Amino acid sequence: MSKLGIFDLSVRYGKLTAVNNISFTVAEGERVFISGPNGAGKSSLLAAIAGEVRAAHGRIEMDGDILSGRVPEAIARRGLSMVPEGRRIFRALSVQENLMVGVGLRRDKTAVPDDLEAIYAAFPILGTRRHANAGALSGGQQQMLAIGRALMTNPKLMLVDEPSLGLAPRVVDEVYDRLCSLQAQRGLTLVIVEQSSARAGRVGGRMLLLRGGQIVADGDAASFAADDLLKEAYFGKAAP
Amino acid sequence: MTLQLVFDALSLGGIYAIAALGIALIFGVMKLVNFAHGQFIAFAVFALIVPSTDAVAVMGLGAAPALVLVPALLAVGAGLAVASEYLVFRPLRNVSPVALMVASFALGVVIQNALLVIYGGRPKAISLWPELGKPVRLLGAEVPMLQIMVICAVLLVLALLAIMLKRSRVGLEMRAAAEDFGMARLLGVRANAVIAGAFALSGALAATVALVLVAQTGVADVRMGGQIMLIAFIATVVGGMGSLPGAVAAGFAIGAVSVALQAVLPIEARPFRDAFLYGLVILVLLLRPQGLFASASAKPRV
Ligand SMILES: Nc1ncnc2c1ncn2[C@@H]1O[C@H](COP(=O)(O)OP(=O)(O)OP(=O)(O)O)[C@@H](O)[C@H]1O
Ligand SMILES: [Mg+2]
Repeated sequence: MSKLGIFDLSVRYGKLTAVNNISFTVAEGERVFISGPNGAGKSSLLAAIAGEVRAAHGRIEMDGDILSGRVPEAIARRGLSMVPEGRRIFRALSVQENLMVGVGLRRDKTAVPDDLEAIYAAFPILGTRRHANAGALSGGQQQMLAIGRALMTNPKLMLVDEPSLGLAPRVVDEVYDRLCSLQAQRGLTLVIVEQSSARAGRVGGRMLLLRGGQIVADGDAASFAADDLLKEAYFGKAAP
Repeated sequence: MTLQLVFDALSLGGIYAIAALGIALIFGVMKLVNFAHGQFIAFAVFALIVPSTDAVAVMGLGAAPALVLVPALLAVGAGLAVASEYLVFRPLRNVSPVALMVASFALGVVIQNALLVIYGGRPKAISLWPELGKPVRLLGAEVPMLQIMVICAVLLVLALLAIMLKRSRVGLEMRAAAEDFGMARLLGVRANAVIAGAFALSGALAATVALVLVAQTGVADVRMGGQIMLIAFIATVVGGMGSLPGAVAAGFAIGAVSVALQAVLPIEARPFRDAFLYGLVILVLLLRPQGLFASASAKPRV
Protein backbone atom coordinates (compact mmCIF):
# COMPACT_ATOMS: atom_id res chain seq x y z
CA MET A 1 0.00 0.00 0.00
CA SER A 2 1.32 3.43 -0.83
CA LYS A 3 1.93 6.04 1.83
CA LEU A 4 0.04 8.73 -0.07
CA GLY A 5 -2.43 8.28 -2.88
CA ILE A 6 -3.92 11.09 -4.94
CA PHE A 7 -6.76 10.15 -7.26
CA ASP A 8 -8.33 12.53 -9.81
CA LEU A 9 -7.77 15.49 -7.52
CA SER A 10 -8.97 18.95 -8.53
CA VAL A 11 -8.77 22.19 -6.57
CA ARG A 12 -10.73 25.26 -7.60
CA TYR A 13 -10.89 28.84 -6.38
CA GLY A 14 -14.18 30.06 -7.78
CA LYS A 15 -13.88 29.65 -11.54
CA LEU A 16 -10.11 29.22 -11.49
CA THR A 17 -8.87 25.63 -11.57
CA ALA A 18 -5.55 25.49 -9.71
CA VAL A 19 -5.17 21.68 -9.69
CA ASN A 20 -6.70 19.82 -12.57
CA ASN A 21 -7.48 16.13 -12.17
CA ILE A 22 -4.16 14.94 -10.78
CA SER A 23 -3.33 11.36 -9.82
CA PHE A 24 -0.11 9.94 -8.35
CA THR A 25 1.08 7.81 -5.45
CA VAL A 26 4.03 8.14 -3.09
CA ALA A 27 5.67 5.07 -1.53
CA GLU A 28 6.68 4.86 2.11
CA GLY A 29 10.09 6.45 2.71
CA GLU A 30 10.18 8.04 -0.73
CA ARG A 31 11.36 11.59 -1.47
CA VAL A 32 9.29 13.32 -4.12
CA PHE A 33 10.01 16.77 -5.49
CA ILE A 34 7.24 18.79 -7.06
CA SER A 35 8.47 21.39 -9.49
CA GLY A 36 6.89 23.72 -11.99
CA PRO A 37 6.45 27.38 -12.81
CA ASN A 38 4.73 29.99 -10.65
CA GLY A 39 1.00 29.38 -10.44
CA ALA A 40 1.33 25.74 -11.53
CA GLY A 41 -0.73 24.66 -8.53
CA LYS A 42 2.05 23.22 -6.35
CA SER A 43 1.01 24.95 -3.14
CA SER A 44 -2.66 24.28 -3.84
CA LEU A 45 -1.88 20.59 -4.19
CA LEU A 46 -0.12 20.50 -0.81
CA ALA A 47 -2.85 22.59 0.82
CA ALA A 48 -5.48 20.13 -0.42
CA ILE A 49 -3.52 17.15 0.92
CA ALA A 50 -3.17 18.81 4.34
CA GLY A 51 -6.86 19.70 4.39
CA GLU A 52 -6.33 23.45 4.32
CA VAL A 53 -8.31 23.85 1.12
CA ARG A 54 -11.18 21.60 0.16
CA ALA A 55 -10.78 19.51 -2.96
CA ALA A 56 -13.38 20.26 -5.62
CA HIS A 57 -13.15 16.70 -6.83
CA GLY A 58 -11.21 13.50 -6.23
CA ARG A 59 -9.81 11.47 -3.36
CA ILE A 60 -6.74 11.66 -1.15
CA GLU A 61 -5.59 8.61 0.80
CA MET A 62 -2.89 8.10 3.39
CA ASP A 63 -2.08 4.49 4.34
CA GLY A 64 -5.32 3.55 2.63
CA ASP A 65 -7.43 5.90 4.85
CA ILE A 66 -9.35 8.63 3.11
CA LEU A 67 -8.10 12.10 4.06
CA SER A 68 -10.23 14.22 1.75
CA GLY A 69 -13.08 15.92 3.58
CA ARG A 70 -11.31 15.84 6.94
CA VAL A 71 -10.31 19.00 8.82
CA PRO A 72 -6.57 19.85 8.99
CA GLU A 73 -6.24 18.98 12.68
CA ALA A 74 -7.64 15.50 12.03
CA ILE A 75 -5.21 14.97 9.16
CA ALA A 76 -2.30 16.13 11.31
CA ARG A 77 -3.32 13.51 13.89
CA ARG A 78 -2.86 10.81 11.27
CA GLY A 79 0.82 11.65 11.00
CA LEU A 80 0.93 14.23 8.25
CA SER A 81 2.77 17.47 8.87
CA MET A 82 3.24 20.59 6.79
CA VAL A 83 6.08 23.09 6.42
CA PRO A 84 4.10 25.73 4.54
CA GLU A 85 5.05 28.24 1.92
CA GLY A 86 6.40 31.38 3.60
CA ARG A 87 7.11 29.32 6.76
CA ARG A 88 4.29 30.89 8.81
CA ILE A 89 6.28 31.02 12.02
CA PHE A 90 4.41 32.22 15.12
CA ARG A 91 6.42 35.39 15.43
CA ALA A 92 5.15 36.47 18.83
CA LEU A 93 5.98 33.07 20.36
CA SER A 94 9.43 31.97 21.47
CA VAL A 95 11.38 29.44 19.42
CA GLN A 96 10.62 26.70 21.91
CA GLU A 97 6.93 27.59 22.09
CA ASN A 98 6.76 27.31 18.29
CA LEU A 99 8.21 23.83 18.53
CA MET A 100 5.71 22.86 21.23
CA VAL A 101 2.49 23.98 19.50
CA GLY A 102 2.21 20.71 17.60
CA VAL A 103 2.92 18.23 20.40
CA GLY A 104 -0.67 18.41 21.70
CA LEU A 105 -1.73 15.76 19.19
CA ARG A 106 0.89 13.22 20.30
CA ARG A 107 0.04 10.19 22.38
CA ASP A 108 3.68 9.53 23.30
CA LYS A 109 4.02 12.64 25.45
CA THR A 110 6.92 11.14 27.43
CA ALA A 111 9.07 11.19 24.29
CA VAL A 112 8.61 14.92 23.78
CA PRO A 113 11.63 16.19 25.82
CA ASP A 114 13.99 13.84 23.97
CA ASP A 115 12.51 14.86 20.64
CA LEU A 116 12.98 18.50 21.50
CA GLU A 117 16.64 17.86 22.25
CA ALA A 118 16.95 15.95 18.97
CA ILE A 119 15.65 19.01 17.09
CA TYR A 120 18.13 21.22 18.94
CA ALA A 121 20.89 18.76 18.05
CA ALA A 122 19.94 18.86 14.38
CA PHE A 123 19.56 22.66 14.37
CA PRO A 124 21.93 23.95 17.08
CA ILE A 125 21.02 27.58 16.39
CA LEU A 126 17.44 26.86 17.50
CA GLY A 127 18.78 25.49 20.79
CA THR A 128 20.90 28.56 21.37
CA ARG A 129 17.97 30.84 20.70
CA ARG A 130 15.24 28.71 22.25
CA HIS A 131 13.91 31.55 24.42
CA ALA A 132 14.18 34.24 21.74
CA ASN A 133 11.14 35.57 19.93
CA ALA A 134 10.72 33.58 16.72
CA GLY A 135 10.08 36.81 14.83
CA ALA A 136 13.65 37.85 15.53
CA LEU A 137 15.17 34.86 13.67
CA SER A 138 16.74 35.20 10.24
CA GLY A 139 15.01 33.66 7.22
CA GLY A 140 17.15 30.54 7.26
CA GLN A 141 16.65 30.07 10.98
CA GLN A 142 12.90 30.49 10.52
CA GLN A 143 12.95 27.80 7.84
CA MET A 144 14.74 25.46 10.24
CA LEU A 145 12.21 26.34 12.93
CA ALA A 146 9.32 25.58 10.56
CA ILE A 147 10.88 22.18 9.80
CA GLY A 148 11.55 21.48 13.48
CA ARG A 149 8.02 22.53 14.39
CA ALA A 150 6.57 20.10 11.83
CA LEU A 151 8.83 17.30 13.07
CA MET A 152 7.73 17.79 16.68
CA THR A 153 4.32 16.36 15.74
CA ASN A 154 6.22 13.12 15.02
CA PRO A 155 4.94 12.82 11.45
CA LYS A 156 5.27 9.89 9.08
CA LEU A 157 4.67 12.04 6.03
CA MET A 158 5.93 15.60 5.72
CA LEU A 159 4.99 18.16 3.07
CA VAL A 160 7.55 20.95 2.59
CA ASP A 161 6.67 23.94 0.42
CA GLU A 162 9.62 25.80 -1.13
CA PRO A 163 12.13 25.52 1.72
CA SER A 164 14.71 27.39 -0.34
CA LEU A 165 12.61 30.48 -0.94
CA GLY A 166 14.57 33.63 -0.21
CA LEU A 167 17.57 31.83 1.31
CA ALA A 168 21.24 32.09 0.34
CA PRO A 169 22.50 28.98 -1.54
CA ARG A 170 24.76 27.99 1.36
CA VAL A 171 21.80 28.07 3.75
CA VAL A 172 19.71 26.05 1.28
CA ASP A 173 22.47 23.41 1.24
CA GLU A 174 22.28 23.24 5.01
CA VAL A 175 18.48 22.98 5.05
CA TYR A 176 18.47 20.11 2.54
CA ASP A 177 21.34 18.40 4.31
CA ARG A 178 19.33 18.34 7.56
CA LEU A 179 16.10 17.36 5.83
CA CYS A 180 17.76 14.36 4.20
CA SER A 181 19.48 13.13 7.32
CA LEU A 182 16.30 13.56 9.39
CA GLN A 183 14.42 11.63 6.72
CA ALA A 184 16.90 8.79 6.91
CA GLN A 185 16.85 8.72 10.73
CA ARG A 186 13.09 8.67 11.03
CA GLY A 187 12.03 6.78 7.93
CA LEU A 188 10.01 9.81 6.85
CA THR A 189 8.21 10.15 3.57
CA LEU A 190 8.90 13.58 2.06
CA VAL A 191 7.04 15.61 -0.54
CA ILE A 192 8.97 18.79 -1.30
CA VAL A 193 8.00 21.67 -3.57
CA GLU A 194 11.21 22.96 -5.15
CA GLN A 195 11.33 25.44 -8.01
CA SER A 196 14.94 24.70 -8.84
CA SER A 197 15.15 21.42 -10.70
CA ALA A 198 18.94 21.64 -10.51
CA ARG A 199 18.69 21.68 -6.76
CA ALA A 200 16.23 18.77 -6.77
CA GLY A 201 18.54 16.84 -9.06
CA ARG A 202 21.51 17.33 -6.76
CA VAL A 203 19.58 16.31 -3.64
CA GLY A 204 18.12 13.34 -5.48
CA GLY A 205 14.75 11.65 -5.55
CA ARG A 206 11.72 11.44 -7.75
CA MET A 207 10.30 14.50 -9.42
CA LEU A 208 6.83 15.45 -10.57
CA LEU A 209 6.58 18.33 -12.97
CA LEU A 210 3.43 20.41 -12.66
CA ARG A 211 2.11 22.88 -15.15
CA GLY A 212 -1.30 24.48 -15.39
CA GLY A 213 -2.52 22.25 -12.59
CA GLN A 214 -1.53 19.03 -14.34
CA ILE A 215 1.37 16.60 -14.08
CA VAL A 216 3.39 16.88 -17.26
CA ALA A 217 6.25 14.60 -16.25
CA ASP A 218 7.11 12.09 -13.53
CA GLY A 219 10.59 10.60 -13.19
CA ASP A 220 14.04 10.74 -11.62
CA ALA A 221 14.97 14.25 -10.48
CA ALA A 222 18.65 13.93 -11.45
CA SER A 223 17.90 12.93 -15.02
CA PHE A 224 15.27 15.65 -15.26
CA ALA A 225 17.58 18.42 -14.30
CA ALA A 226 19.17 18.69 -17.73
CA ASP A 227 16.10 17.70 -19.68
CA ASP A 228 14.24 19.80 -22.23
CA LEU A 229 10.97 18.72 -20.66
CA LEU A 230 11.65 21.22 -17.94
CA LYS A 231 12.07 24.14 -20.24
CA GLU A 232 8.86 23.06 -21.89
CA ALA A 233 7.07 22.90 -18.58
CA TYR A 234 8.23 26.36 -17.67
CA PHE A 235 7.96 28.15 -20.96
CA GLY A 236 5.61 26.08 -23.05
CA LYS A 237 6.65 24.41 -26.29
CA ALA A 238 9.40 26.63 -27.60
CA ALA A 239 9.35 27.71 -31.20
CA PRO A 240 12.25 26.07 -33.09
CA MET B 1 -7.56 63.21 48.29
CA THR B 2 -4.98 62.30 45.64
CA LEU B 3 -4.59 58.79 47.02
CA GLN B 4 -8.35 58.38 46.79
CA LEU B 5 -8.11 59.37 43.13
CA VAL B 6 -5.50 56.72 42.52
CA PHE B 7 -7.75 54.07 44.03
CA ASP B 8 -10.69 55.34 41.98
CA ALA B 9 -8.63 55.19 38.82
CA LEU B 10 -7.33 51.70 39.56
CA SER B 11 -10.70 50.21 40.36
CA LEU B 12 -12.52 51.83 37.45
CA GLY B 13 -9.68 51.09 35.03
CA GLY B 14 -9.48 47.52 36.32
CA ILE B 15 -13.12 46.87 35.42
CA TYR B 16 -12.61 48.36 31.97
CA ALA B 17 -9.49 46.23 31.54
CA ILE B 18 -11.33 43.01 32.42
CA ALA B 19 -14.23 43.86 30.13
CA ALA B 20 -11.84 44.76 27.30
CA LEU B 21 -9.96 41.48 27.78
CA GLY B 22 -13.21 39.59 27.30
CA ILE B 23 -13.59 41.21 23.90
CA ALA B 24 -9.91 41.01 22.90
CA LEU B 25 -9.66 37.29 23.71
CA ILE B 26 -12.41 36.37 21.25
CA PHE B 27 -11.22 38.85 18.66
CA GLY B 28 -7.75 37.33 18.94
CA VAL B 29 -8.77 33.82 17.94
CA MET B 30 -11.84 34.50 15.78
CA LYS B 31 -11.47 38.06 14.48
CA LEU B 32 -14.96 38.58 15.88
CA VAL B 33 -15.93 41.70 17.82
CA ASN B 34 -18.51 40.18 20.11
CA PHE B 35 -21.01 42.97 20.70
CA ALA B 36 -23.08 40.60 22.86
CA HIS B 37 -20.40 40.84 25.56
CA GLY B 38 -22.34 43.59 27.35
CA GLN B 39 -25.39 41.33 27.48
CA PHE B 40 -23.23 38.49 28.80
CA ILE B 41 -22.45 40.86 31.68
CA ALA B 42 -26.13 41.74 32.19
CA PHE B 43 -27.10 38.07 32.08
CA ALA B 44 -24.60 37.26 34.83
CA VAL B 45 -25.95 40.13 36.93
CA PHE B 46 -29.50 38.77 36.72
CA ALA B 47 -28.34 35.24 37.40
CA LEU B 48 -27.84 36.42 40.99
CA ILE B 49 -31.56 36.95 41.61
CA VAL B 50 -34.65 34.76 41.48
CA PRO B 51 -36.46 35.06 38.11
CA SER B 52 -39.55 37.25 38.49
CA THR B 53 -40.93 40.51 37.10
CA ASP B 54 -41.61 41.83 40.64
CA ALA B 55 -40.12 45.23 41.47
CA VAL B 56 -38.38 43.82 44.52
CA ALA B 57 -35.47 41.53 43.81
CA VAL B 58 -35.08 38.33 45.80
CA MET B 59 -31.53 37.04 45.94
CA GLY B 60 -31.12 33.52 44.60
CA LEU B 61 -27.55 32.58 43.78
CA GLY B 62 -26.61 36.01 45.18
CA ALA B 63 -27.48 34.83 48.69
CA ALA B 64 -24.95 32.00 48.58
CA PRO B 65 -21.64 32.34 50.44
CA ALA B 66 -18.94 33.96 48.31
CA LEU B 67 -16.99 30.71 48.03
CA VAL B 68 -19.96 29.17 46.24
CA LEU B 69 -21.28 32.30 44.55
CA VAL B 70 -18.11 33.40 42.76
CA PRO B 71 -17.24 30.09 41.05
CA ALA B 72 -20.90 29.44 40.27
CA LEU B 73 -21.35 32.84 38.62
CA LEU B 74 -18.11 32.43 36.65
CA ALA B 75 -19.50 29.09 35.45
CA VAL B 76 -22.79 30.75 34.46
CA GLY B 77 -20.92 33.36 32.40
CA ALA B 78 -18.68 30.73 30.80
CA GLY B 79 -21.68 28.50 30.11
CA LEU B 80 -23.64 31.26 28.41
CA ALA B 81 -20.65 32.21 26.26
CA VAL B 82 -19.91 28.62 25.24
CA ALA B 83 -23.59 28.01 24.44
CA SER B 84 -23.63 31.17 22.32
CA GLU B 85 -20.58 30.00 20.45
CA TYR B 86 -22.06 26.58 19.82
CA LEU B 87 -25.53 27.77 18.79
CA VAL B 88 -24.78 31.04 17.01
CA PHE B 89 -21.15 31.49 16.00
CA ARG B 90 -20.13 27.92 15.13
CA PRO B 91 -22.73 27.52 12.37
CA LEU B 92 -21.48 30.87 11.01
CA ARG B 93 -17.79 29.93 11.15
CA ASN B 94 -17.19 30.56 7.46
CA VAL B 95 -19.14 33.76 6.91
CA SER B 96 -17.55 37.19 6.60
CA PRO B 97 -16.36 39.07 9.71
CA VAL B 98 -19.05 41.68 9.16
CA ALA B 99 -21.79 39.05 9.13
CA LEU B 100 -20.35 37.58 12.32
CA MET B 101 -20.41 40.99 13.96
CA VAL B 102 -24.04 41.51 12.96
CA ALA B 103 -24.83 38.08 14.41
CA SER B 104 -23.26 39.15 17.69
CA PHE B 105 -25.48 42.26 17.74
CA ALA B 106 -28.50 40.06 17.15
CA LEU B 107 -27.45 37.68 19.91
CA GLY B 108 -27.14 40.65 22.28
CA VAL B 109 -30.64 41.79 21.43
CA VAL B 110 -32.01 38.28 22.00
CA ILE B 111 -30.34 37.99 25.42
CA GLN B 112 -31.50 41.46 26.43
CA ASN B 113 -35.09 40.74 25.44
CA ALA B 114 -35.04 37.41 27.21
CA LEU B 115 -33.96 39.24 30.37
CA LEU B 116 -36.71 41.84 29.87
CA VAL B 117 -39.35 39.15 29.57
CA ILE B 118 -38.14 37.17 32.56
CA TYR B 119 -37.21 39.99 34.94
CA GLY B 120 -39.15 43.02 33.69
CA GLY B 121 -37.73 46.31 32.47
CA ARG B 122 -37.33 48.27 35.70
CA PRO B 123 -33.95 48.40 37.40
CA LYS B 124 -33.96 46.53 40.70
CA ALA B 125 -32.07 47.33 43.85
CA ILE B 126 -29.97 44.41 45.02
CA SER B 127 -27.41 44.39 47.72
CA LEU B 128 -24.42 42.14 47.37
CA TRP B 129 -21.87 42.01 50.16
CA PRO B 130 -23.00 45.28 51.87
CA GLU B 131 -20.35 44.83 54.55
CA LEU B 132 -17.73 45.74 51.90
CA GLY B 133 -19.02 49.32 51.86
CA LYS B 134 -17.21 50.13 55.12
CA PRO B 135 -14.19 52.36 54.72
CA VAL B 136 -10.77 51.29 55.93
CA ARG B 137 -7.80 53.52 56.64
CA LEU B 138 -4.96 52.89 54.24
CA LEU B 139 -1.82 55.01 53.89
CA GLY B 140 -3.59 57.88 55.58
CA ALA B 141 -6.67 57.81 53.34
CA GLU B 142 -10.16 56.46 53.87
CA VAL B 143 -10.79 53.86 51.19
CA PRO B 144 -13.92 51.73 50.88
CA MET B 145 -13.14 48.09 51.52
CA LEU B 146 -14.94 47.25 48.27
CA GLN B 147 -12.51 49.29 46.23
CA ILE B 148 -9.54 47.45 47.67
CA MET B 149 -11.28 44.14 47.01
CA VAL B 150 -12.01 45.15 43.42
CA ILE B 151 -8.41 46.13 42.77
CA CYS B 152 -7.14 42.89 44.33
CA ALA B 153 -9.66 40.83 42.37
CA VAL B 154 -8.69 42.54 39.10
CA LEU B 155 -4.99 41.94 39.73
CA LEU B 156 -5.69 38.31 40.66
CA VAL B 157 -7.73 37.73 37.50
CA LEU B 158 -5.04 39.34 35.34
CA ALA B 159 -2.31 37.26 36.97
CA LEU B 160 -4.26 34.00 36.60
CA LEU B 161 -5.03 34.74 32.97
CA ALA B 162 -1.41 35.62 32.23
CA ILE B 163 -0.19 32.40 33.85
CA MET B 164 -2.78 30.38 31.97
CA LEU B 165 -1.85 31.90 28.63
CA LYS B 166 1.87 31.65 29.25
CA ARG B 167 2.18 28.29 30.95
CA SER B 168 -0.66 26.00 29.94
CA ARG B 169 -1.14 23.89 26.84
CA VAL B 170 -4.46 25.54 25.97
CA GLY B 171 -2.89 28.98 26.52
CA LEU B 172 -0.10 28.17 24.07
CA GLU B 173 -2.63 26.92 21.53
CA MET B 174 -4.70 30.08 21.95
CA ARG B 175 -1.71 32.35 21.38
CA ALA B 176 -0.66 30.35 18.33
CA ALA B 177 -4.22 30.38 16.98
CA ALA B 178 -4.50 34.12 17.56
CA GLU B 179 -1.49 34.64 15.32
CA ASP B 180 -2.26 32.16 12.54
CA PHE B 181 -5.25 29.94 13.08
CA GLY B 182 -4.74 27.97 9.89
CA MET B 183 -1.14 27.14 10.79
CA ALA B 184 -2.13 26.08 14.30
CA ARG B 185 -4.68 23.69 12.82
CA LEU B 186 -2.07 22.23 10.46
CA LEU B 187 -0.13 21.40 13.64
CA GLY B 188 -3.10 19.52 15.08
CA VAL B 189 -4.57 22.28 17.25
CA ARG B 190 -8.31 21.66 17.45
CA ALA B 191 -10.14 24.76 16.23
CA ASN B 192 -13.34 23.97 18.10
CA ALA B 193 -11.57 23.46 21.42
CA VAL B 194 -9.56 26.67 21.17
CA ILE B 195 -12.58 28.77 20.20
CA ALA B 196 -14.77 27.23 22.90
CA GLY B 197 -11.96 27.86 25.40
CA ALA B 198 -11.71 31.50 24.40
CA PHE B 199 -15.46 31.93 24.77
CA ALA B 200 -15.45 30.21 28.17
CA LEU B 201 -12.73 32.56 29.43
CA SER B 202 -14.48 35.56 27.95
CA GLY B 203 -17.76 34.58 29.63
CA ALA B 204 -16.03 34.12 32.97
CA LEU B 205 -14.50 37.59 32.58
CA ALA B 206 -17.99 38.99 31.85
CA ALA B 207 -19.24 37.39 35.07
CA THR B 208 -16.33 38.99 36.96
CA VAL B 209 -17.36 42.40 35.65
CA ALA B 210 -20.98 41.64 36.62
CA LEU B 211 -19.98 40.87 40.21
CA VAL B 212 -18.00 44.08 40.54
CA LEU B 213 -20.73 46.21 38.95
CA VAL B 214 -23.42 44.82 41.24
CA ALA B 215 -21.29 45.20 44.34
CA GLN B 216 -20.49 48.80 43.40
CA THR B 217 -23.85 50.05 42.16
CA GLY B 218 -26.32 47.85 44.05
CA VAL B 219 -28.51 47.73 40.97
CA ALA B 220 -29.55 45.08 38.46
CA ASP B 221 -30.47 46.72 35.18
CA VAL B 222 -30.93 45.06 31.79
CA ARG B 223 -29.04 47.93 30.17
CA MET B 224 -26.02 47.91 32.44
CA GLY B 225 -23.78 45.91 30.13
CA GLY B 226 -24.15 48.30 27.21
CA GLN B 227 -22.24 51.30 28.57
CA ILE B 228 -19.29 49.24 29.79
CA MET B 229 -19.26 47.26 26.55
CA LEU B 230 -18.82 50.52 24.63
CA ILE B 231 -15.87 51.60 26.74
CA ALA B 232 -14.37 48.11 26.66
CA PHE B 233 -14.65 48.04 22.88
CA ILE B 234 -12.94 51.42 22.67
CA ALA B 235 -10.21 50.09 24.95
CA THR B 236 -9.59 47.12 22.65
CA VAL B 237 -9.37 49.43 19.64
CA VAL B 238 -7.06 51.89 21.40
CA GLY B 239 -4.95 49.00 22.72
CA GLY B 240 -4.63 47.49 19.24
CA MET B 241 -7.24 44.91 18.22
CA GLY B 242 -6.25 41.48 19.41
CA SER B 243 -3.46 42.61 21.71
CA LEU B 244 -4.28 41.41 25.23
CA PRO B 245 -1.69 43.56 27.04
CA GLY B 246 -2.90 46.47 24.89
CA ALA B 247 -6.51 45.92 25.97
CA VAL B 248 -5.50 45.84 29.63
CA ALA B 249 -3.28 48.92 29.37
CA ALA B 250 -5.91 50.88 27.45
CA GLY B 251 -8.62 49.83 29.94
CA PHE B 252 -6.55 51.19 32.83
CA ALA B 253 -5.67 54.30 30.83
CA ILE B 254 -9.31 55.09 30.07
CA GLY B 255 -10.22 54.56 33.73
CA ALA B 256 -7.42 56.85 34.84
CA VAL B 257 -8.27 59.56 32.31
CA SER B 258 -11.96 59.58 33.22
CA VAL B 259 -11.16 59.83 36.93
CA ALA B 260 -8.64 62.59 36.24
CA LEU B 261 -11.06 64.51 34.03
CA GLN B 262 -13.71 64.23 36.73
CA ALA B 263 -11.25 65.76 39.18
CA VAL B 264 -9.76 68.57 37.10
CA LEU B 265 -12.67 69.68 34.92
CA PRO B 266 -14.57 72.68 36.27
CA ILE B 267 -17.95 71.74 37.76
CA GLU B 268 -19.94 73.09 34.83
CA ALA B 269 -17.89 71.02 32.32
CA ARG B 270 -18.19 67.71 34.18
CA PRO B 271 -21.37 66.56 32.46
CA PHE B 272 -19.32 66.60 29.26
CA ARG B 273 -16.56 64.45 30.71
CA ASP B 274 -17.24 61.62 28.26
CA ALA B 275 -17.04 64.01 25.34
CA PHE B 276 -13.54 64.96 26.46
CA LEU B 277 -12.70 61.28 26.94
CA TYR B 278 -13.84 60.26 23.47
CA GLY B 279 -12.08 63.30 22.00
CA LEU B 280 -8.85 61.99 23.50
CA VAL B 281 -9.56 58.54 22.08
CA ILE B 282 -10.00 60.01 18.61
CA LEU B 283 -6.75 61.91 19.02
CA VAL B 284 -4.89 58.71 19.98
CA LEU B 285 -6.33 56.86 17.00
CA LEU B 286 -5.41 59.71 14.65
CA LEU B 287 -1.82 59.52 15.85
CA ARG B 288 -1.66 55.72 15.99
CA PRO B 289 -4.43 54.18 13.85
CA GLN B 290 -3.18 50.65 14.56
CA GLY B 291 -3.65 51.19 18.31
CA LEU B 292 -1.08 51.67 21.01
CA PHE B 293 0.02 48.04 20.90
CA ALA B 294 -0.46 46.56 17.45
CA SER B 295 -0.73 42.78 17.73
CA ALA B 296 1.88 40.56 16.15
CA SER B 297 -0.59 39.18 13.62
CA ALA B 298 -1.44 42.67 12.43
CA LYS B 299 2.14 43.26 11.34
CA PRO B 300 2.91 42.34 7.76
CA ARG B 301 4.69 39.04 7.36
CA VAL B 302 8.17 39.14 5.89
N1 LIG C 1 -6.49 31.45 -2.02
C1 LIG C 1 -6.55 31.59 -3.36
N2 LIG C 1 -7.61 32.20 -3.92
C2 LIG C 1 -7.70 32.34 -5.26
N3 LIG C 1 -6.77 31.91 -6.13
C3 LIG C 1 -5.69 31.29 -5.63
C4 LIG C 1 -5.51 31.10 -4.22
N4 LIG C 1 -4.35 30.47 -4.02
C5 LIG C 1 -3.82 30.28 -5.24
N5 LIG C 1 -4.60 30.77 -6.21
C6 LIG C 1 -4.36 30.68 -7.66
O1 LIG C 1 -4.25 29.32 -8.00
C7 LIG C 1 -3.21 29.11 -8.92
C8 LIG C 1 -2.20 28.14 -8.36
O2 LIG C 1 -1.57 28.76 -7.26
P1 LIG C 1 -0.54 28.00 -6.32
O3 LIG C 1 -0.18 28.91 -5.22
O4 LIG C 1 -1.05 26.67 -5.97
O5 LIG C 1 0.69 27.84 -7.32
P2 LIG C 1 2.20 27.50 -7.01
O6 LIG C 1 2.59 26.49 -8.01
O7 LIG C 1 2.39 27.15 -5.60
O8 LIG C 1 2.90 28.88 -7.35
P3 LIG C 1 4.20 29.56 -6.68
O9 LIG C 1 5.38 28.97 -7.33
O10 LIG C 1 4.05 31.01 -7.03
O11 LIG C 1 4.17 29.32 -5.21
C9 LIG C 1 -2.62 30.48 -9.21
O12 LIG C 1 -3.21 30.95 -10.40
C10 LIG C 1 -3.04 31.31 -8.06
O13 LIG C 1 -3.21 32.66 -8.43
MG1 LIG D 1 3.50 27.97 -4.07
